[in-house]
Amino acid sequence: MDDPKVEIIALSNTLKRKMGLKPDDTSEGFIDPEAVKGADDLVKTLCEECHSAIAGVFANLNEKWHVMRDMPKDSPDRPAISEEVFILSHEIKDIGSMCGYNLIAHFAESLRDYIDETELNLKAQRVIIQAHIDAIQLAHKQDLKDDDGPAATELKKIVKLAIEQYK
Amino acid sequence: MSIYKKDEPSPYDLSNFTVLLVEDSLYMQSLMVSMMKMFGVGDIMVCSNAQEAIDLLKVTQARRKSRYVTDIDIVVTDWLMPGGSGKDLLNWIRGQDDDNIRFLPVVVVSAYTTEKLVAMARDAGANETLVKPISGVGLASRICCVIDKARSFVSISDYFGPDRRRKDAPFNGDDRRVTNPKHIKNKRKKAEG
Repeated sequence: MDDPKVEIIALSNTLKRKMGLKPDDTSEGFIDPEAVKGADDLVKTLCEECHSAIAGVFANLNEKWHVMRDMPKDSPDRPAISEEVFILSHEIKDIGSMCGYNLIAHFAESLRDYIDETELNLKAQRVIIQAHIDAIQLAHKQDLKDDDGPAATELKKIVKLAIEQYK
Repeated sequence: MSIYKKDEPSPYDLSNFTVLLVEDSLYMQSLMVSMMKMFGVGDIMVCSNAQEAIDLLKVTQARRKSRYVTDIDIVVTDWLMPGGSGKDLLNWIRGQDDDNIRFLPVVVVSAYTTEKLVAMARDAGANETLVKPISGVGLASRICCVIDKARSFVSISDYFGPDRRRKDAPFNGDDRRVTNPKHIKNKRKKAEG
């Protein structure tokens, strides 16, 4: 007999059984809507501490960026630290977007994607990264949340200009 | 006393549920654990990266018969993490010989919002994807999806994971998705709960 090219494995639904239903029960269940609303409310409360959480990650990001900026272009440590900067900017984007700090999330995402796409060993690229870091710091310091207010638009314009001028 | 009437469906009781959460950010960990606790999830294990999760799954599996160790029902993992990504974890889970590990439902959570990420997670064998920022409804719906819409697993040369075809809609034309029946080996598997 030929070896089958495709194997389809139909599993018994043990999770349904855990819910007290038959494994072949096709009904759709739900999580208590009150609990779901409670979860959202709880996140809102926890997000009130988000400002200090962002501050902590940002301090780490800034420190790693300074190390990276000052290290020799051909340092063997560059890829590792570059990844750390990438991960930290991603984390700021995560926290910012979760807690309504959309402007900070915007710059952090832009920084993350920029780092992902470049080798970061040219002076011009450092200017672009520094512009992002300054923008995140300023938005955090002034507690700017929305990404479409006048201050946000101005900040975005400055970073965009840096990207266009130095890319 | 239940607030639900006798003939109304009652919500899922997740008190016997064990979720393995893999997330590198401490802040995001605390948010997601809080959400799942609100849902009533009985046991939440937390790891900071893929390698930690792999180590935990190995230990859990090795001590499976112990009454102190609970089975993991769902893995909820971030995609981008230092020290082993969500993709590394998915590849490891789906690559195991042990049925209790390789069939684990995996929900990928990511702050990347591109279709590319969704396709990558799907092709690595994820059951569901959830884009950050996470809402209560979003997380609850993915957990319910995993419970309610368990799909068959497909094993082909370059893929092992839940069937990526979710729809079973009628189609007028040559159905190129259909594999020659002689090449399909159906297997019913009864995973132990």
